[in-house]
Amino acid sequence: MDYLIIAVVAGLAAVERKGFLQAMLARPVALAPITGLVLGDLPGGLLIGPPLELLWLGAVNMGASLPPNEALGTVAITAGAVLAGQVLGTGVTPAIAALAIGIGGVMATVGRSTDRAIEEWNVRLAARAEALLARGLPSAAVRTNLYGLLLPFAVSALLAPAAAAIAVWVIPGVLHGIPAAAAPLGYGWAALTGVAAAAGARAFRSQRGIGLFAGAAALTLAVGWLAGGIR
Amino acid sequence: MSVPPVTLRRVFWRCLFLQAAWNRRGMQNLGFAYAIDPALRRLYADPGQRSEALRRHLATFNCHPYTAAAIIGGAIHHEELVAAGEEPPGAPLEYKQVLQGPLAAIGDGFFWAGLRPFFGALAAVGTLLLGWPALVAALLLYNALQLWFRWTLFRAGYRAGDEVVLRLASLSLPAWAARLRDGGAILAGVGAGILALLAAGRLGVAAGALTIAAAAAGVAALWLRARLLPAAYVALALGTAAGVLAVRFPGGR
Repeated sequence: MDYLIIAVVAGLAAVERKGFLQAMLARPVALAPITGLVLGDLPGGLLIGPPLELLWLGAVNMGASLPPNEALGTVAITAGAVLAGQVLGTGVTPAIAALAIGIGGVMATVGRSTDRAIEEWNVRLAARAEALLARGLPSAAVRTNLYGLLLPFAVSALLAPAAAAIAVWVIPGVLHGIPAAAAPLGYGWAALTGVAAAAGARAFRSQRGIGLFAGAAALTLAVGWLAGGIR
Repeated sequence: MSVPPVTLRRVFWRCLFLQAAWNRRGMQNLGFAYAIDPALRRLYADPGQRSEALRRHLATFNCHPYTAAAIIGGAIHHEELVAAGEEPPGAPLEYKQVLQGPLAAIGDGFFWAGLRPFFGALAAVGTLLLGWPALVAALLLYNALQLWFRWTLFRAGYRAGDEVVLRLASLSLPAWAARLRDGGAILAGVGAGILALLAAGRLGVAAGALTIAAAAAGVAALWLRARLLPAAYVALALGTAAGVLAVRFPGGR
């Protein structure tokens, strides 16, 4: 049942991301908590979402260019982490999140390739619409547009559960086999979140970006330190 | 003859599907034809004329999905004039061809490179600090803004036709985009600080320092055009290796 839910969430995210609406619901910051929520672990989704959002803040579809498919990557990572956390009985920990990104992150790159293939495939839909129009069927011709939502849904609905299944198989194996790996992986997660924040700053391509980023980070650390940190 | 408001609302709803069948040949052509069809049905009672009009709108088209709403509205404006015999049939196509490039540039620069990443960073920082209520608030605000923009542009295009460019220019979107980019870089910095504080809270000062060091190294690597995912994997691997040392020699924690 969990894998069916993952398939539906990934499919709907693929549709919302480009084909319909673009309301940020397929962005990692929203999609990770949604995935966590439907799988019964909202805190797990909230742990993963913000760093992934910063990591893929620059993943935007400008013109005919194709960015990594951050939505597919997010569902694969979050679903894998949440289900692995349930198997281990710990919920999503930084160590589990680190391993889930290691396994599921590549799905963003795989998704970019499938996006390209879908755009090629959609040329047939355009040709079909022209043919229907030539046959005097204008309503059927314009309706062809909606068929373009099916393939992105299907591809993501297949790939995300597959990646999550691999994570569910690997992550408990690693953390049961090498219990001492959990703490070092927590450090790995800490380092990854730092790079994610840097990627977020880079995404804005602001001329003063480095200075603003560094200044804001230093000020936040100072304030946090004085306030006794964040738990 | 003019298109009734209920049909305009229907067209606007269909604008949200503009990229449903984005393809490498005609790009958003199918989406454009799908969106404008209810208006064409109203304007051309004769099926042959409607098909002819649809054929015009199956020409290659590509624009930003938000700012394209202005062009769809403007195309209806021109189709009304064509239906009334006041413009030649090629006028709507010419209008689309002239405007799609500039409006795509404005949309990409303001929405994709400014507003949306700004709200992404805002939602991320808000979630880190306050949890899901901040996330919901950021998403609601973003969507109120983007839907308002889309509807306003659609209506301005329909009412003003070619004049929509002047209306758009009066909004000074490039200047706002520059401010949003600066604000976004600040939010990313705040995010880095919070993530470091969270790591320090979980694992000790060394983990917080590692987050900051990784952020600094990430800035350097990404500004030197390192690829993102490999950089993230390297950070994960090096951070884990540093964690092994930190666990083995806990004096550093």
